[in-house]
Amino acid sequence: MLNYVWAGLIILSFVFGLAYDARDLSRDTYRNGLAFEVELTSDLEFDASLRRQNVTVHIDPAFYKAHYNTESTPDSTFSGVIIRSTDGIQLRFAEGATLPDPWSTIRLETSSRDNDMRGTFLVTSTGLAAQSVPTDSTGLAASAAPNSVAGTVTFRSVRFVKMHAIAAAAISMAETAVTLALGLVGVIALWMGLLKIAEAAGLINTVVRFTQPILRPLFPEIPKDHPALGLIVLNLSANMLGLGNAATPLGIKAMEELQTLNPDPDTATNSMVMLLAMNTASVQLVPPVLLVALMGLQINELIFAITIVTSISLIVAVLSARLLSKMKRFQTKPAGPNTPQSLQTN
Amino acid sequence: METTRTIFEIVSAFVLPALIVGFPLYGLFKKVAVYEEFVVGAKDGFKVAVTIIPYLVAILFAIGMFRASGAMDFMVDGIRPLFSLIGIPPEVLPMMIIRPLTGSGSAAIVMDMIQQYGEDSILVKMAATMFGSTETTFYVIAVYFGAVNVRKTRHAVPAGLIADGVALILSVFVVRWLFG
Repeated sequence: MLNYVWAGLIILSFVFGLAYDARDLSRDTYRNGLAFEVELTSDLEFDASLRRQNVTVHIDPAFYKAHYNTESTPDSTFSGVIIRSTDGIQLRFAEGATLPDPWSTIRLETSSRDNDMRGTFLVTSTGLAAQSVPTDSTGLAASAAPNSVAGTVTFRSVRFVKMHAIAAAAISMAETAVTLALGLVGVIALWMGLLKIAEAAGLINTVVRFTQPILRPLFPEIPKDHPALGLIVLNLSANMLGLGNAATPLGIKAMEELQTLNPDPDTATNSMVMLLAMNTASVQLVPPVLLVALMGLQINELIFAITIVTSISLIVAVLSARLLSKMKRFQTKPAGPNTPQSLQTN
Repeated sequence: METTRTIFEIVSAFVLPALIVGFPLYGLFKKVAVYEEFVVGAKDGFKVAVTIIPYLVAILFAIGMFRASGAMDFMVDGIRPLFSLIGIPPEVLPMMIIRPLTGSGSAAIVMDMIQQYGEDSILVKMAATMFGSTETTFYVIAVYFGAVNVRKTRHAVPAGLIADGVALILSVFVVRWLFG
């Protein structure tokens, strides 16, 4: 099952990415190579000998909407800087400016490192255009003339946005996975250490003895008095109390105990799937820390709703884990402890 | 209800310290060489974390690609009519699709919705209940099975997703029943 889900995710991302890119190409979403009308004003006079000059970029939101055939409305002014070189004039929007779509995508594609959108600026006229700027209603347009210049800006062509995006996502998520896993080292070590003490002191066995009447019917494969039961109890309790940090190492330790009972170490046992299903649906008496952080005081009202939902979904989880394990396509191949395969993998 | 919650909160605040202090204390009482045992156990921590890396990479990069491709938006549009038929508001659909895939992604959706609709809105309550009632199933599968090197997960994915699906849909109706 996971094989198909996994391959499906990857193939679908490619297919959808391709479809979106093809759509962008046919619609010319980013108006590649087309000039966009802007007007620049500056505190200083426009002086060709200045290499670098701070400017304010004025645009007409209506023109923007028509040009890109979009619903998003941009601001009418942006701050930026022009840089003169032998190649011409480059206009850079201020770093991290709030840009509407599709400009935000163009920026992401053409200048993701500096986060400032860049385009080539061509002067069409100086001075006069200031009068056409609706925001400039002071009547001082004529005197502002030397500080104002109208022109067009052309951005670098943007194509295959989604192809770049899925490749970048694959790589960055692979890095995230390692960061996540290594971030777990400390907590796992802490809990494994504490559990080792608990085990040596016989504490796990005590937990097992008290809780196995409830738990054993759900995990019939686990022999009586086995420590796996105790760890499962600890894992589920930690989950209920919203202690995600402790729940994960406890769950891992429980899986390790279940693995010692597994005749075929490659393949999940019914107990493992049951534990997993109960974990994904575990009853929450105290909500997870992250949700409390997000919702603040509102969480008080929700805890009752969450408890109801999770109680029902726990029952569903137990039932579906039990029923699915009986389905033919999820049956384990008969692999006793003595088959050559399990000897190899051991 | 308020008092019950306070009690749970107090319990929850004391559980961790109680366990962290309690285990070694009980060990001492039982004449266990506590420090030595702790170190032996903790030594596994690194090994476990490294063991789960390939599983996490496999799951997370596929999910990352899927999110980046825009396939999600397309799916949301596709199933919207179906879900509005059974009374699920379209605004919470992205949450329902993203929840089993990524924890951080679904937290971001809750944050977005709070910005957009306000904490009091029933939509945010639905989304938050969904967030609190389900787990990031694929992450849990990667970590738990990865830690013991189990590659053939059998019915773990469908069982987890069925439980998630029920919880996600129930969240809508329970919130509507309580606050609607």
